[in-house]
Amino acid sequence: MKRLFGYIRRYRLRYGFGMFCTFATASLAMTIPFLIRDAINAIERGHSERLVPLVEGIALAAVGMGLARWFSRFMLFNCARDIEYDLRKDLYAHLLHLGPNFYQRLRTGDLMSRLINDLTAVRMMVGIGVLTFVNTPLYWIYALAIMLSLNVPLTLASIAPYVFLFAVMWRLSHSLMERSLLVQEGLGAIGAKVQESLSGIHVVKAYNFEDHEAARFRSLNDEFNQHNLALARLRGALLPLIRGAAASSTMIVLIYGGSMVMAKRMSIGDLVAFMSYLGLLAWPTTAFGWTISLYQRGKAAMRRIDEVFNSAAGVAEDNGDAIKLEVAGAVEWDNVSFAYSSHHDGNGATIENALTNISVRVAPGEKLAIVGRTGAGKSTMVKLLTRLIEPTSGRVMLDGRDVSEYSLGALRRTIGMVPQEPVLFSDTLARNIAFGRVDAPADVIIESARTAGLEGEIAALPMGLETIVGERGMSLSGGQKQRVTIARLLAYDPAVVVLDDALSSVDTETERAVLSSLGESVRGRTTIVVSHRASTVRDADQIIVLERGEIVERGTHEELMATRGVYAALFRRQLLEEELASY
Amino acid sequence: MQVASEEKLARVYDSALLKWVWGYVRPYSRIFWFSVVLMPLNTMFVLAQPYIVKLTIDLFLARRPGTIGPHWLQPLLRISHGHGLLTLGALYMLMLAGEFATFYGQFYLTMMVAQFSLTDLRIALFRHIEKLPMAFFDRTPVGRLVSRMTSDIDAINEMFSSGSLTIFIDLLTLLGIIVIMLNLNARLALWSLCAIPPLLIVLNFFRKRARAVYREIRERLAALNAYLSESLGGMSVIQLFTRERESAREFDDLNIRSRDVQMMANVYEAGLFATVETLSSVTIAVILWRGGGQVIHGLIGLGTLVAFMEYAQRFFMPLRDISTKYTVLQSALAAAERLENLMAEPRTIASPPAPRLVSNPRGSIIFEHVDFAYRPGEPVLRDLSLTVEPGQKIAIVGATGSGKTTIIKLLTRFYDVTAGRILVDGVDVREWDLSQLHRAIGLVQQDVFLFAGDVLDNVRLSRSDLGEDAVTDALARAQALGFVNRMARGLHEPVDERGANLSAGQRQLLSFARALAYDPRILVMDEATSSVDSETENLIQRALDQLLTGRTALVIAHRLSTIERADRILVLSHGVLRESGTHRELLDQRGLYYHLFELQYASVGSAN
Repeated sequence: MKRLFGYIRRYRLRYGFGMFCTFATASLAMTIPFLIRDAINAIERGHSERLVPLVEGIALAAVGMGLARWFSRFMLFNCARDIEYDLRKDLYAHLLHLGPNFYQRLRTGDLMSRLINDLTAVRMMVGIGVLTFVNTPLYWIYALAIMLSLNVPLTLASIAPYVFLFAVMWRLSHSLMERSLLVQEGLGAIGAKVQESLSGIHVVKAYNFEDHEAARFRSLNDEFNQHNLALARLRGALLPLIRGAAASSTMIVLIYGGSMVMAKRMSIGDLVAFMSYLGLLAWPTTAFGWTISLYQRGKAAMRRIDEVFNSAAGVAEDNGDAIKLEVAGAVEWDNVSFAYSSHHDGNGATIENALTNISVRVAPGEKLAIVGRTGAGKSTMVKLLTRLIEPTSGRVMLDGRDVSEYSLGALRRTIGMVPQEPVLFSDTLARNIAFGRVDAPADVIIESARTAGLEGEIAALPMGLETIVGERGMSLSGGQKQRVTIARLLAYDPAVVVLDDALSSVDTETERAVLSSLGESVRGRTTIVVSHRASTVRDADQIIVLERGEIVERGTHEELMATRGVYAALFRRQLLEEELASY
Repeated sequence: MQVASEEKLARVYDSALLKWVWGYVRPYSRIFWFSVVLMPLNTMFVLAQPYIVKLTIDLFLARRPGTIGPHWLQPLLRISHGHGLLTLGALYMLMLAGEFATFYGQFYLTMMVAQFSLTDLRIALFRHIEKLPMAFFDRTPVGRLVSRMTSDIDAINEMFSSGSLTIFIDLLTLLGIIVIMLNLNARLALWSLCAIPPLLIVLNFFRKRARAVYREIRERLAALNAYLSESLGGMSVIQLFTRERESAREFDDLNIRSRDVQMMANVYEAGLFATVETLSSVTIAVILWRGGGQVIHGLIGLGTLVAFMEYAQRFFMPLRDISTKYTVLQSALAAAERLENLMAEPRTIASPPAPRLVSNPRGSIIFEHVDFAYRPGEPVLRDLSLTVEPGQKIAIVGATGSGKTTIIKLLTRFYDVTAGRILVDGVDVREWDLSQLHRAIGLVQQDVFLFAGDVLDNVRLSRSDLGEDAVTDALARAQALGFVNRMARGLHEPVDERGANLSAGQRQLLSFARALAYDPRILVMDEATSSVDSETENLIQRALDQLLTGRTALVIAHRLSTIERADRILVLSHGVLRESGTHRELLDQRGLYYHLFELQYASVGSAN
């Protein structure tokens, strides 16, 4: 909440003006019944000459109130929009600097809900919440003061239904909020179930699982129905309650006040004024109960947002300028160990070293290949290089300096890495390729695509390089996506090239072709290639074999084949299987 | 552009769409009509209240009682022996009670109808989508279907709950007020209504602007959220390619665009709110001004004047809501249209009306001159013929894109052949009952899909008749019991699609257990390529033995051991069957397969 006040303070002038307008609205709104009272009394006494100025006064007050209301509402609501915007902007900026640990812990869906639902809740709190919070007490103070000055016993009698309304709303709005959250969650569960069933549609079909899935879907729907109807039962009561309170107090005014009018102890004008005031109080009173839930919900939402803000960046520093460094390209792992911390696993899984005492030295311009089975620690090794993760012990160095001594931006601008999972964004193919270098000239983009073996594909696309790809565009195959990410790396033009099994989805033939044309274009640069295929990296200057986080073999292809160890076995086996598959 | 055309379409098909929605409401039409009948009743109760106020003032309070009240009131007043005020109070309470009862009843009944019918719709959609051919899923992202089932249906729900569907009742209320006012005093009525024309102008202005603005809001918010979701998913790539600043700038652009249009909406909404409120107060001033004189001249009672003020108030509220309700109606219809289109999606692959029933299938498979293309003009399989005897084990080898997985997809009838035919137990798969066909063929795929639930659920899937013993047995034969037992809750250990608590090898073993529990006559399998540690590899080998025994098996093989063990090996290249035979035969043929082995020995030789 402290953080939120910081944001609110930025708009204190506009908030102040909004509040002033709210104050003006309430003042003018409360003048009108008083003028009506005088008008009715004038009519009742037959003073027609006094009617016109009163009527003019009402009209004037109405216009003034309208203007003030207009300003007060949109000023305050727009402050809330600005705060929402600021929070969203800062949250995103923060998210841009959080490491993989964080994204392991909070999934995209969860984050999205914080950035959408929780921000909405906060906005409601600082917008309409603030408005009602100011407006309602103002209305009550005004109305009570005037009504008490007119007639004390009638005031006390006629506000009784409102006290009741307020008490009920206080209780009700909490359940209302809870029930609407349940409905929201129910809808979320339905969405998740659809997502799940349809993602696994092949299994659903193959195992005749349709009816079961439909039955499970139905039970979710039934539950959702229950929640919805439970909410409807409350919501249905809401309007009658408000109307009931208002009408009951009108009736009290009519009977009790009426008898006073008959006994000539009160004027009809007063009676009508009472009716008007009480009518005006109905909505603000209701809204106040609602505001309390808004506040509770907003506070909870702000806590969830704070949680994101308070997550320290995996690599805690500003990225600095992303300027490509002039480096020779010597890379070294110096006695590096790394262990993932397991925080999401409740049953106390042992934290095993993903890497143990790794020491490798790559001379400038050399090509290093890292091979091994899935889970051997290959990806972990290269992630350390770009500081997606930090070593538990030991040092990772570029040109003899610890990578943590470079600014993160410069480091990542210098060492280009293609991760295993190809990620395309919903944008044109050209912009996906120029992703890391927005100003990349067209010929660089075309050349990069050519080197990545995408020429044929691009020619086949309806709009060539300008075709939108990704989630909201053309869908490409896994192998095509991977080649786009290779092109992206080429356009990025880094000093050190790292491929983290970046061609796993293309067939061996294509992988070899892409790697060889890539080799041509990055000749002279330090290259590190991770592959689960031994056969595609045989030309590397140095090959290391990882097993369970340790280097078990190292050398050139020829040396390793001669030792007839793990690499040789892996190579023979893979070669056979690949050759079989390639027919 | 797309949204604009969507809304246009929605207008053209309004009545047809409402009829389509009505198809789902019809089963609950009695409740629906009952709720509809309650609405005019509610209006009546609401509109009677100011009239009672008028009577009270005119009969008892005003100094110059204008009338003696309507005829129907006389007996009531006589009975009440001078307690006329209380009688009218009681009458007022009665109207209030009536208002509550009718409002609550109407609201709850409408919500009941909405919930029941929309649940039916949702389940019908779900069942329909499940039956759609795989080709549909190839071109439709799951996310889009999720939003059909949630946001779109919710938009229709909103139509019910906001009262948009019953907009005409609001009009009825307005009409009722006008009639009553005209009856009370025509001249004053006309004066009271003189704020209507300016209000209509404002409303119309707002309606036009608001529609454009709301559409913008939807689009910009969707763009913002899409960007957000994509960036969060691809965050490490953004960071690796040092695109943080660029990305922050892009996001800021979207964020600003979303904020600005929402602020615009706030200005309009607040303006409308304030205008209505102002006009309603101005109307009161007009009533006091014109009516006051009439009261003074004894033309009307003071009560009538007060009643006019009350009616005028009630006149403006529904008018304020009408444009909101109209917007809701529009977006509900647009949603309904998308849903109708989805529902109209043809189930091109379905059981025939009179399927040929195969009791106790033996498990023979015949492909006869099968051609297949996912897209016209791009054949994936060409003139493929093969015969598999019951109990035979077939290994298929070939490059990526040679058509191996397509064979599996055609056999399970995920797709239909372009030409030729596929027979299982001598019956064309298109003549089989689909669920019987799927019952006969078990499928094990490379990537193992796990449903949210526990191990038990995931192994037995549709075989809910299987007890825990049977599942334990399947797990044991699939060599999966060891690791399942090591988990804290064993069979009841929760798993889900992310399956973070299971390794790739363990997931494979679970999928084997799934197939063993399913116990099909024919097993089709796409062997996983991902490498696993040697211990797991051993387990997989043993589980495979269990899995293949006693059934016809068609395996896209990646393991040498699987290939060597097969009764027959099919060598596929570019959608054409190049060689077929046993390991021995193929070696003797000295063709492609033999060539592969030569290659292998050569490489081993060089290593030596």
